[in-house]
Amino acid sequence: MIEAWVIGTLARTLAYGTPLLLGTLGEIYSERSGVVNLGVEGMMIMGAISAFATAFTTGNPWLGILVAAIAGGLAALVHAFASITLRANQVVSGLALTMLGLGLSGLFGKGFEGKPLDSTISNVTVPLLKDIPYLGKILFIDQNPIVYISIVLTPILSYILFKTSIGITIRSVGENPAAADSAGINVWKVRYACVLLGGVLAGIAGGYLSIAYRPAWTQGMTGGMGWLVIALTIFASWKPGRGLVGAYIFGALIHLSYRLQPFVAPQLLKMMPYAFAILALVALAIGPGKQKSEEPNSLMEPYVRGEK
Amino acid sequence: MKRFIVFTLVLLVGLGFMFNVGLAADGDKLKAGFIYVGPVGDYGYSQGHDEGRKYAEEIFPWLETFYVENVFPPDVESTIDKFVRNKDADVVFTTSYGHMDPTIKAAKKYPDTVFFHCSGFKRAPNVGTYFSGLYQTYYLTGLMAGALTETDKLGYVGAFPTPEVKRHINAFAIGLKEANPDATLLVRWLNAWVDPSGAKEATEALIEEGVDGFAFTEDTPTVLQTAQENGAFSFSHYNPMYRFAEDAAVSGQISNWGVIYADILYKVYYGVYTSENLENVDYWWLMKEDSAVLGAKRDMMINPEYVDQLKSTTITDPLLGELSVYDLIMKRREQMKADRVTFDPFIGPMKDRQDIQRLKDGEWASHDELWTIQWAYENVKGPWPDEPTE
Amino acid sequence: MQEYLPFEITERPNPSGFVIITVSLLALLSAFLVASFVFWAYGTNPITAYTALFDGAFGGVYELSETIRRAIPLLLAGVGLVIAFKAQFWNIGAEGQLLLGTIAATWVALFSPVPEPLMVPAMFFFGFLAGSLWALVPAVLKSKLGINDVITTLMMNYIAINLVLFLVQGPWKGEHQWGFPYSDNFPAAAQLGTLGTTNVHWLTLVIGLVAAGLIYVLINRTTPGYEIRVLGSNPSAGRFAGMSYVKTSIMVMFISGGMAGMAGVGEIAGIHHMLRNPSELSLGYGYTAIIVAWLARKNPLAVILTAFFFGAIFAGGDALKVSLGLPFQITDVFNGLILFFLIGSEILMNYKFEWRRSP
Repeated sequence: MIEAWVIGTLARTLAYGTPLLLGTLGEIYSERSGVVNLGVEGMMIMGAISAFATAFTTGNPWLGILVAAIAGGLAALVHAFASITLRANQVVSGLALTMLGLGLSGLFGKGFEGKPLDSTISNVTVPLLKDIPYLGKILFIDQNPIVYISIVLTPILSYILFKTSIGITIRSVGENPAAADSAGINVWKVRYACVLLGGVLAGIAGGYLSIAYRPAWTQGMTGGMGWLVIALTIFASWKPGRGLVGAYIFGALIHLSYRLQPFVAPQLLKMMPYAFAILALVALAIGPGKQKSEEPNSLMEPYVRGEK
Repeated sequence: MKRFIVFTLVLLVGLGFMFNVGLAADGDKLKAGFIYVGPVGDYGYSQGHDEGRKYAEEIFPWLETFYVENVFPPDVESTIDKFVRNKDADVVFTTSYGHMDPTIKAAKKYPDTVFFHCSGFKRAPNVGTYFSGLYQTYYLTGLMAGALTETDKLGYVGAFPTPEVKRHINAFAIGLKEANPDATLLVRWLNAWVDPSGAKEATEALIEEGVDGFAFTEDTPTVLQTAQENGAFSFSHYNPMYRFAEDAAVSGQISNWGVIYADILYKVYYGVYTSENLENVDYWWLMKEDSAVLGAKRDMMINPEYVDQLKSTTITDPLLGELSVYDLIMKRREQMKADRVTFDPFIGPMKDRQDIQRLKDGEWASHDELWTIQWAYENVKGPWPDEPTE
Repeated sequence: MQEYLPFEITERPNPSGFVIITVSLLALLSAFLVASFVFWAYGTNPITAYTALFDGAFGGVYELSETIRRAIPLLLAGVGLVIAFKAQFWNIGAEGQLLLGTIAATWVALFSPVPEPLMVPAMFFFGFLAGSLWALVPAVLKSKLGINDVITTLMMNYIAINLVLFLVQGPWKGEHQWGFPYSDNFPAAAQLGTLGTTNVHWLTLVIGLVAAGLIYVLINRTTPGYEIRVLGSNPSAGRFAGMSYVKTSIMVMFISGGMAGMAGVGEIAGIHHMLRNPSELSLGYGYTAIIVAWLARKNPLAVILTAFFFGAIFAGGDALKVSLGLPFQITDVFNGLILFFLIGSEILMNYKFEWRRSP
């Protein structure tokens, strides 16, 4: 009984945690290079509508994911241009991107509301692996291919960030752009690339929502997931591996806010993920395992050559 | 008495038609403005109203309509202002409970305009009220659910704990119990009218609990889609959602606001309703008036895939004897659609799940009881905000 | 001096008012220009759209009153955000603080022993207090533990939303609402008076205007204000000079949250007269106030102007919905575009661009 309960919850955790994970991986890269992007919600929803529109008109859901990635990337470039080239405030630029994304997707998504989608990315069951005790039921029965993509992506992105010269470059740009610049690194190019990656992943997350997780387009359907991603990035101390853990904890909490309704009032349960985010940050800040903050030093500071 | 009123109304309308009284005289179009609380593409409540508006505009050549979507209570009054001042609206429809007070306030400002408010209880000489009740169809789908479930666990994903949603849940539960006394109905709340990812997780959570059939109140087809993915069945809600899940959609309720809008506008046009005589005009239209339609799409009452099972499941009714659930559904539908309605889901004796007597033997629930219903029926399980204890 | 594309750039450390206003107007104009492409792509003639927008916001006394009505919560919350932003405190939580104000006002109006004549002042007092206490949580967490303020203020919004839901569905559900999840109506003594037949609750407006002036004086003419400015522009220098970051953060957020709380009081006591579903209560004023504060270049007096401007966008956007049948998202698009162009234009204020002379 309890076993089934745990396994069921964990399987749902993966499904709900995946868009959070994809968004968080992207935001980690963006912030590691020194750029906060509060526009995740906007990029996600642009991805969601683009994916749906593409899959609906072409009948090809994977093409939908590709277009979602491009749409998310393009949206991110707007933020990159404002915050990197024009040195605008990153917080405000991100907010603007979210508003713009929600507005534009709602406006141009009108024609797709209430339309069923025939070509979706449906769940798969992996033969052989499904028989692994416990893990098989959680991970390999009735799970979405994009869930696997995001899981595979996590160690790769972690490896790149911490074990390769590309990662060192990114982190040095985030830590000390002036030093990186004098070492011959093009700070702007690195930041543009990282923000772009953030947008691409957020776009895919949106596409997952509209053509895999729940195939349909509804205006505002990302429902605040983008904001959770921002919280998760900090919660993860800017590390992809911890991002995965965090995304799944949040996924579990949101699923549990329905699962536990017989025991706790629904409104209180719905506060849970948000309260948990705050409490977790407090615990990390005062806990015994307290370590030096991983926050990139130049976060939120536009780089101006020749200063400092 | 009621029949007398209906008769008089028909007569008046006929007379109006003959003498072409009312606004028709000068050949002007009747202008009607609609104020919706959600987006028209929500595939739920506001879209349902908008389909009704389109229907009325289609059948009446003398009617011109316009609408505004996503109007929240603080902006209702100013939207009415714009309708009356800039668009010369003769009739204004406001469609959400939260629109009630601003509508009453605006109606005082514009005494010559006809107002109709949906889902509230305050009226005025120029403000009538109307509502389309779906609970009877929920009862019928509850009967189906009782016959179709294998786990004896059904799920209901509810939007907000309003009396309307509680009424729907109870009606569904009453039908369920009648067809299957062992079955229970597990309820989960979203606290949102539109929340696809919440609806998805709530459905999945219920499936984990062993639920194999669903009913819901949420403005997207998410629950239906999720049921289909998991091999469960579900009932469509509000709009025809069959094409979203052709295997899972057994039946459902389609809200048909068009008949109400047509009736109101017709009577306004021919002078039956004026800005002075609406104090007692309240529409509470149900299956009989065709404002609640059974089905997951318009021309299919029950998905043929499920008909056999409904026909082969038999139950014993104290009055009707032994019969199949299918026949019972048809019988009940007939009784509720008849000119003289001889059945309603809410007939006593009825107890709530706290074992408190709610309806005496043979007592029919009154309009006001149904409108303010707070208790949960015997077989309902799960959270129930503000459950009455007396 | 730097070189950038074909320009030579020199810093302009203290741009004059003229430069700020000219550049801001140019940015607005560009935003409107880009928005007209959105109209055009949507099949609406941009000129018709702008005419309707302008008429809906300024077309007459009534239209003006609708603009002012929407400007009121933006003014109060915006002035509060200015002081937080001045101290580099990222308060994204005005929405939640505003909701706490509505909760406090409901308590005073329906459940407190406060005698009727004192209800209005009590509502503003407790509304301020509730908003500021809600804001103190992120203030303490940031200044004591270094926890990111964007996250905490944002998460507190969602908690506030569910708190309101909890109250209207349970303990505070009205007895005269036929079972709907709304509180009962406020008694007449707890309803704010409005100007004539309009919905302008003037008392809140006056409070907002006075607060704008007071906060301007506080920031520019007092010692705590000086500390706010120093800590905001250069925290380490401030600390070196013996200023308390904790104390300043708490003071700043106390005021910021309190102002948003009073904005909530104005909305509920002036317009709604009941506690209801949070998505119907605020209409996102707390988020728009962020733009309002930013557009005012963190100057409290300028907030009066920018709040009015965004009140006009809201009122005009509503008019667009009615007269042209445009979807409601049009306001979001407008706000987003305006914000982008405004922040993008800041570089033009702080730097002088000149064509690079040939060597």
